Amino acid sequence: MALFAKYLRIGSTVKHGFQAFPQLTTAKYSVYPPHFAEPVYKKQELDKLYESGEIENYKLIPFKAAKSNETCSIFHDPMVAKFINYMLLKGQKKLAREVLEKTFEKIKKLQLEKYNRETDPEKKASMIIDPVVILKKAVANSKPLLKLTAVKRGGSFYQVPVPITDKESTFYAMRWFVQCGREKDKSISFADFMATELIKASNNDGKVVNKKLDLHKQCEANRAYAHYRWS
Amino acid sequence: MMALQRLFNNLATSKLNTPKLLSNFVPRCSYGLNNVGSDDPDVEIIEKKIVEEKTSLAMRAYLQRATQYNSFMQQQTHEYNVGKRHLANMMGVDPETFTQSDIDVAIDYLFPSGLYDPKARPLMKPPSEVFPSKKDAEFDESGRPFHVFFYTGKPNFYLILHNIATKLSELNKFEDSLRKNNILPDPDKKLTSLGSQWLSKEDLEKLTVEKLSDHEYKNFVIAIERLLKHPCSYKYGEFISDYQKPMISTKAIIESAPVEYTKDGRAFVTVKDCPRKDARADVTVYYPGTGKLSINGKGIEFFDDIQAREQILFPLLFTDMVDKVDIHATVRGGGVSGKAGAIRFGISWSLRSFVDPETVERMRIAGLLQKDYRRRERKKPGQARARRKFTWKKR
Repeated sequence: MALFAKYLRIGSTVKHGFQAFPQLTTAKYSVYPPHFAEPVYKKQELDKLYESGEIENYKLIPFKAAKSNETCSIFHDPMVAKFINYMLLKGQKKLAREVLEKTFEKIKKLQLEKYNRETDPEKKASMIIDPVVILKKAVANSKPLLKLTAVKRGGSFYQVPVPITDKESTFYAMRWFVQCGREKDKSISFADFMATELIKASNNDGKVVNKKLDLHKQCEANRAYAHYRWS
Repeated sequence: MMALQRLFNNLATSKLNTPKLLSNFVPRCSYGLNNVGSDDPDVEIIEKKIVEEKTSLAMRAYLQRATQYNSFMQQQTHEYNVGKRHLANMMGVDPETFTQSDIDVAIDYLFPSGLYDPKARPLMKPPSEVFPSKKDAEFDESGRPFHVFFYTGKPNFYLILHNIATKLSELNKFEDSLRKNNILPDPDKKLTSLGSQWLSKEDLEKLTVEKLSDHEYKNFVIAIERLLKHPCSYKYGEFISDYQKPMISTKAIIESAPVEYTKDGRAFVTVKDCPRKDARADVTVYYPGTGKLSINGKGIEFFDDIQAREQILFPLLFTDMVDKVDIHATVRGGGVSGKAGAIRFGISWSLRSFVDPETVERMRIAGLLQKDYRRRERKKPGQARARRKFTWKKR
């Protein structure tokens, strides 16, 4: 599968290697001029920049203001912040955050239970209890390698497998988690369901990972159409 | 004939609007705006006679235009100088030492304007800044153009593009020759655009004395960026830097706010009207302190949101000053995140006075010292919201 994806990526460089004209349509809405850089708000990342000497370049550039969900606190994680944003409905970020925190609490409880039940010291040492690490692992396990896009050829649409960027595949994985959470029974709470699902996915199991495998299967089945992307 | 020669000498030295940066362009232009319609009446008559006999229709039209322009500018300059003296007298200052900055202040004082756009407010500037400059003659007496690209309509601009293209092909050849000898172009010497930006459209228009469209400007940026990205671009670093200018200076950030002292000798800094969305905050930071925090008479429990609380603590955590300062803030208007953002900016803006310059620089890179000017995007007519469109079905 990975090789197949690699092949497709080579195809993409042929098509997109030459950068066409930039867009001549209306500009995107931004108050900052284009030369403003994204802020580096984590202390550790800044220290790294100082160590590597890269900071000299940054001294000449103006920076955008840090956003209201960014902070240098050790409890902050960009990936978690992103997940909250994908979860929320109608701008209720406070609620979404509370739900995710409940999820984390549940994960920690479940994992601690398992940890205390375990007698084998080797297995005990390799067990992950930190919910943020579990979330990261779960998302990494459910990231797809390819996606399907509809391409019109000869009057009918074909589902064509297309390589996917890292950012997009992360988005797919997170969206699947949220979708699964919304499709669950009403008898279980979102937080409980999400906790079990995340733990399962971190062990390469569960609904979301199956979704990923389904997508891969479909891509494999439609590999005959792959050339429609450029011909 | 003597007079004509004199004219030629005069005009060859004229510097009006001759583009500086066009290296290939040797101005052979012999007629300039400066010298047409000179003050000496005798000379003018003789010149005109000779000129009319030999020149083409185009040249004559140009000379007429130039005379008009010059006399217009002369009159404007005269009016400006008289107006300046009047202003100085009105303000009760010596007219001889009255400068442009004094004029601006006087105009602000005498004609206060409530108009929002600074461009719409009354102004008094030297005519050379107000009226667009014009080019010298681009053709000789017989009407033949000097410039290779005259018939493109924008010779100076297209010359720049041409120069970029030739330099790029030269670099390609150079790189090929390097690779033939199994030498790779030095990656350390590679140029970067960090800390500098390209000349803006307006700057480029001033440089070329030509009106450019957005499309043409984009073409220029694409071309020069391609030249910059070439692995051997260091060969023409000087040429590229002619079209670059530094990004905004950070002087305003480094100059910290004035420190005041309370009766018991504690230093404090007050920042008023810190903006974020619709919220405005007045923040006072006392140093040294014990980490007391009061927002509208309450502590951090003023905010229910954990995200808002994190925002208040962000600058304090970043500078390790959580328990070294006291903060007193009053905030009004806006919502929760707006209020928190306004206070965050106030705290970080006043903390500059109590931390060392390196930390200030770190805070700048972390985006704490930039005012967040983002606002709610407006709803558009014909759409449901700012971006969302109405549901639409063809049939």
